[in-house]
Formats: sequence, C-alpha cells, structure tokens
Amino acid sequence: MAMSNFDEQLSQQLNSLAKEKQPERDLFRGVELGIEAQRNGEEKQSSNSVTNNQWLAIAASVCLVTVIWLSAPLAFKTENTQADTYALIEALSTQQQQQVNSLLASYESTPALTQDWQQQLKELDDAADAVKLALKEDPDNSALIKMLHHVYQQQIALIERVHAPKWQQI
Amino acid sequence: MEHTQQRVVHANVVFGKQDEDHWISEAKRGSKHAFRQLYDMHIGRVYALCYRLTGEKGMAEDAAQEVFIQLWRKLDNFEGQSQFSTWLHSVTANITISYIRKQKGWVQRMFNLESSGIHDMAAESQSTDIDLEAMVVRLPERARMVFVLHAIEGYRHEDIASMLDMAVGSSKAQFFRAKQLLKDYMGYGDE
Repeated sequence: MAMSNFDEQLSQQLNSLAKEKQPERDLFRGVELGIEAQRNGEEKQSSNSVTNNQWLAIAASVCLVTVIWLSAPLAFKTENTQADTYALIEALSTQQQQQVNSLLASYESTPALTQDWQQQLKELDDAADAVKLALKEDPDNSALIKMLHHVYQQQIALIERVHAPKWQQI
Repeated sequence: MEHTQQRVVHANVVFGKQDEDHWISEAKRGSKHAFRQLYDMHIGRVYALCYRLTGEKGMAEDAAQEVFIQLWRKLDNFEGQSQFSTWLHSVTANITISYIRKQKGWVQRMFNLESSGIHDMAAESQSTDIDLEAMVVRLPERARMVFVLHAIEGYRHEDIASMLDMAVGSSKAQFFRAKQLLKDYMGYGDE
C-alpha cells in the first residue's frame, strides 16, 4: 500500500517536473569562445601540417648542406678549377636561401619578438654577399668558407630566436 | 472561442517549427546569429538534462556549453528526419555522459567508486511539498543517470545500457536502487 502511494506520488512529481531549467548565467559567450578555440585549433593543426612539411624540407636541406659541406674540403683538394669550386659555394648559398625562406614561411603567423630583426637579417645578408665576393676571387680560402658558414648559421639562429615562443625565452 | 485558441496554439507550433528550420539552415551556413537563436530556443531543455545527469550546477554549465560547441560542428549531421529537439536531446545525453566520464577521477575509475550524493539524506516527511529534482540530483551517479534517462527522459533500458556501457540488467537494477533511495528520501522508508 505504501509502495503504491509512493509510486503514485513519484508519478505525480515526475509529471509536474519542469521540462526546462534555465542556467543562472548566460553560457553562450563560453560557447562562442569554445567554437572559436576549436576553429583556431583546427586552423593551427592544418597550418602545422604545412609547417611539418616545411620542417621536412628544412631537415632535407640541412642534410644536403652538411653532406656538401663535409665533402667540400675533399672537393677543394681535387683538381677542380676555381670556377667549379665557386659553383659549389653558389649551391651552398642557394640551399641557405631555401632554408631561410622555409623558416620564414613557417613563422609567417608567429609574431616576432623584436622589431628590427629584418634589418639584422639584411645586415647578415650583406655580410654573406661580401664574403662571397671575396670567395669569388679566392674560392679555396678556407677561412672565408668558414666565415660564410658562420654568417649563414647566424641567419638561421636569428630567425629562430626572434620567433621562438616567449616561454622558450625564459 | 475555444476553437480559436486551438488554432492560435496550432499556428504557434507551425510558425515555431518554421522559425527553427530557418535558424537551423542559417546556422549550417555559418550564421552565429542563427545559432544564438537555436541556443535560446533549446538551452532550457539542454541545461535541465545536463543538470539532472551531472547532479551539479558547475558541471551542468560546462556540459551544456560542450553540447552547443559540439552542436556547431555536428549541425550538418542533422538531416531533418527526426525532430530537431529529439535529435538535440539525444546528442545532449551522449555528450553529457561522455563529459561525466571524462571528469571522473582515475581513482574512481580504478576502484569503480561512485560519486554519490547524500545517501543518508534525511527523510522528508510525507508531504506533497517534495522537491523531486533536489532528491534526484542527490542520488548516486549511476542510479541518478539511469533514473533520469528512464523515468524523466523516457529512454528504454536497452538504450540506456548501450549509452552507459552497462548490461540491461544493471540498468534495471540501478533504476530499482534509485527508486528505493527516493522512497527513503520521501519518508516512505519505514513503512
């Protein structure tokens, strides 16, 4: 009997239970932010996949540059003409330019931490051009080759440093 | 006069449905304004289900937001074969259950403990002034979810078992348990 009273009362309570209940605050702002975050996440993911490809290209370039660099002394010892040697340096420069371009493309959407980095990059570019000009006259000069290599390393380091996330700077 | 009122009610339903269809198609095209209209139309039912399933205001708010965030992505899946509110209700139930699972701590999952409400809740006197909602949200988690889905939302035990990843018998047992606890809460325990 008690059970049937309970069932009856429960049934009544269930029937009178409100179908709707309003939250105490407007949740839509949070929904909008969530949608935005999701969209940004998707975009970042798709741009990351491009970046991954670019990183692959960079890695391949680095490998190629290293191989060429390691084989350079051997190449210089051969009986190649000065023109051939300088062609090798030109190839290195082309590789470097591709690497710089890939890096710049991968950091396109990342704000730079300093304003004058492009000026610094330009100065390093000018320095590389000056060394290359000297190498054109004296392609076998190992000090000049080392100097060019150093300038190129500085360029890569500069681009990475000014685009690194702040937490990496700490 | 009564006939006229029935016509007005009928017209509201028809125009309401037309509005809803319009907002759905606009939201599918990416209109945030249309999506806001859908939100306003359905947040009451969505939040009510989230609140009853989670048993907690903060979690219910998070779950309701999650439902609408997912809805924005899943809206294209709605092909209009069922009522939008029915489809949204099913989406809400599934997302909220999945949200609750994610929120459960690893200790709870490891030892299959239940985040129960106040088991020893003081029995109410047998008055008609009973707040069923307050009692439901105080039920242990599994009993509460089964009770809400079966008694309030009308899902079959077979469907609940599939949604909650449990046996049909367990769903029925949890429902029985929920009723026994509610009986205690309402002060029928000693009879």
